[in-house]
Amino acid sequence: MRSTRDYNDIIGGVLMIIGGTWFSLHGLQYSMGTLRRMGPAYFPVCIGITVALFGVLLLLPALRRPGGFPKPEWRPMAAICIAILAFAIGIDRLGLVPATVVLTILAALAERRPPLLPTAILAVALAAIAVLVFTQGLGIPLPAFRWNL
Amino acid sequence: MDMFANLALGFGEAFAPLNLMYCFIGVFLGTFIGVLPGIGALATISMLLPLTFHVPPTAALVMLAGIYYGAQYGGSTAAILLNLPGTPSAAVACLDGYPMGQKGRAGVALLMTTVASFVGGSLGIIILTAFSPALAGIALSFGPADYFAMMLLGLVAAATLAQGSPVKGIAMVLVGLALGMVGTDVQTGAQRFTFGIPELSDGLSLVALAMGLFGVSEVIASINRMRTGQRSKERITFRSMVPQRNDLRQSAFPMLRGTGIGAIFGALPGAGATIASFLAYAVEKKVSRHPERFGQGAIEGVTAPESANNAAAQTAFIPTLTLGIPGDAVMALMLGAMIIQGIQPGPRLVTEHPELFWGLIASFWIGNVMLVVLNLPLIGIWIKMLAIPYRILYPAILLFICIGVFSVNNNAFDILLVLVFGVIGYAMMLLKFEPAPLVLGFILGPLMEEHLRRAMLLSRGDPMVFLERPISAGFLMVTTALLVWAGMTAVKQQRQARRMAVAAG
Repeated sequence: MRSTRDYNDIIGGVLMIIGGTWFSLHGLQYSMGTLRRMGPAYFPVCIGITVALFGVLLLLPALRRPGGFPKPEWRPMAAICIAILAFAIGIDRLGLVPATVVLTILAALAERRPPLLPTAILAVALAAIAVLVFTQGLGIPLPAFRWNL
Repeated sequence: MDMFANLALGFGEAFAPLNLMYCFIGVFLGTFIGVLPGIGALATISMLLPLTFHVPPTAALVMLAGIYYGAQYGGSTAAILLNLPGTPSAAVACLDGYPMGQKGRAGVALLMTTVASFVGGSLGIIILTAFSPALAGIALSFGPADYFAMMLLGLVAAATLAQGSPVKGIAMVLVGLALGMVGTDVQTGAQRFTFGIPELSDGLSLVALAMGLFGVSEVIASINRMRTGQRSKERITFRSMVPQRNDLRQSAFPMLRGTGIGAIFGALPGAGATIASFLAYAVEKKVSRHPERFGQGAIEGVTAPESANNAAAQTAFIPTLTLGIPGDAVMALMLGAMIIQGIQPGPRLVTEHPELFWGLIASFWIGNVMLVVLNLPLIGIWIKMLAIPYRILYPAILLFICIGVFSVNNNAFDILLVLVFGVIGYAMMLLKFEPAPLVLGFILGPLMEEHLRRAMLLSRGDPMVFLERPISAGFLMVTTALLVWAGMTAVKQQRQARRMAVAAG
C-alpha cells in the first residue's frame, strides 16, 4: 500500500521533535556551566535541540512525498511483551521454573494456532535447561522455586 | 622482529586452555546462528554480553569476536541450500550459490565458500596485524579535540554510508547520544534523566538496550515471517564436495580481489561486511569475460563475496582496537564489552594490554582454523539444524535474553528495560529506522562529551581549537563533506520520489 504522504517518516519526525524538545527542557534543570567549564546540562541540551532539528528535517520533506504506512503485527508484539513482563514479575516472586513455563506459554500465543502438546513439552524442557545451565552450570543465584509474593 | 615477539605473546595467551575453550564456543555458536536465518550475530552477541561479566576480559572478547566472524562462515550455508541468507552479508551467496545447488553442485559450493572464507579471513588478519600497531602509534599523538572530531566523523560516516536514508541514520545516532546521557555525570556527579530511579544512576544498561533493539524486536518481526524447519533435499557427501580444477582456477583471483575489497570496506566506518560482499560480486561481474554466467551458478560469484565479507569481518577490528572507534553495531558491542570489563579502548590498548590485543588477534587465526574444521567435516550437522522450526527457537531466545539480562545485576528492572527497548526497536523497524547507528551513538556519547569538555577546558573555552589543530580540522573537513553529500543524496531521493508519484498519477 502506498499513500500520498510518507507516514513512516512523519511519525518518526514528530516523535523526534517531541522527544528532542522534552530532552532539552528536562536537561535545562541541571547546571549549564560555561563553554570553558561545561556543566552537566550543556551537552544534553545541545543534543536535544539537534534531535528536534533533525525531526523537522525528516518531517518536512515527508509531507510532500509518497511513502508507506507502518503495519504492526499486533498479536506477536502483544504476546511477546506480556511474556517478558510476566517473566520479570515471576522471577523474583515464584522462581525460575514457573517464570520459564509462563514465558514459554505466553510466547507461544504469538502464533495464530499455538500447538498445545509441543508447547507444553517445550516449556518443561526449557525450564529444565534453564535450571541446569544457569543455576547449576554457571552458578547464577536464581532459585528454581520460591514463594515471595 | 618485534611483530613476531608480539605474535608469540598473543599465541601464548590464545592457547591458554580457557581462551581456547571460549574461542571454540564463540566460533561454534557463530556458525550455528550464522546457519540459522532469523537470528543474527548482533542478537547473539547482545545475548552473550552478560556472560562476559563472569569471565576474564580476553576470554570474553575472544568469544564475542568468534561469534562475529564465525557467523560469516555459516551464513552462506542456508543461502546455498535453501536460497535463504543466514546473515545479511550472505544474501549475495543466494545469487549464484543456490543455482549451483540446483545443478547438483551444492557440495562444491559449500566447500568453496569455506575455502574462500578462510582465504579472506586469513589475509584480513595479516592486514590487521600489520597495520594496527602503526595506526595506534599515530593515534597516540591525538589530543581531546582530535578525538572528539574523529568520533564525530566516525558517527557521521557510519550513519551516512550505511543502508537507508542518511537523515534517518544521523537521527538515530543523535537519539543514541541522548540515551547515552542517562545516569550519573562523570565530572560533576549530577544525576541526569534518572527520575529518582536508583537502577538508572549507572546509566541505561547496554546489555538491555542491545537485547531489546536487536533480540526482542527481531523475534517479534520474525514470528509470522520465518519459514525454517525446511529440510534440504540435498545429501552432502564428501565425494560431492570435491571441486574440479576449473573451480579452483576460476576462484583464485576473485578470492584475492574480494579480499581486497573486503579489507578496505571492513576498516571504513559504516560500510562493513554486507556492502563489501555486494561490491565484490558487482566487481566480479564487471571484470568477467562471461558476465552472462552470473546468476546461473558461477563459482566466482560465490567465492569473491565470501572472501570479501570474511576479510571485512577481520579488518573491522582495526579502528575498533586501535582508535576505539567502532565501525558498526557489532564492533560497538565489542567496545561496550571492553568498557564493561574496565578496559579503556583506544590507542593505548596495544601498549597497556598487549596480552589482550595480541591474544585476540592470535585467537582469530586459531578460530579460523577451527571454523574450517567445523564447516567441512561437520557440514551435515549444520544442515540438520536448518530443520529446527522457529516455533521452538524463539521461546528459547526470549528465555536466554531474560535470564541473561537478569543475571547482570540480579535485578528484574533490567528485564523491563529490555521490554521497553524491544517495543522501541520494533517500532523503529516498522518506521524503517536502523538500530545500529543508535547503538554506536549510545556507546560513543559519553566518551564524546568527555573529550569535548576536556578540549574546551584546555583551550579555555575557545571553540576555534577544533580548526586550529590540523588533525581535528582534517576530520571535520571530511565530516562536512560527508554531510554535504548526504544532503545532496536526500534532495535527489526526494525529487525522485515526487517525480514517481506524479508519474503514477
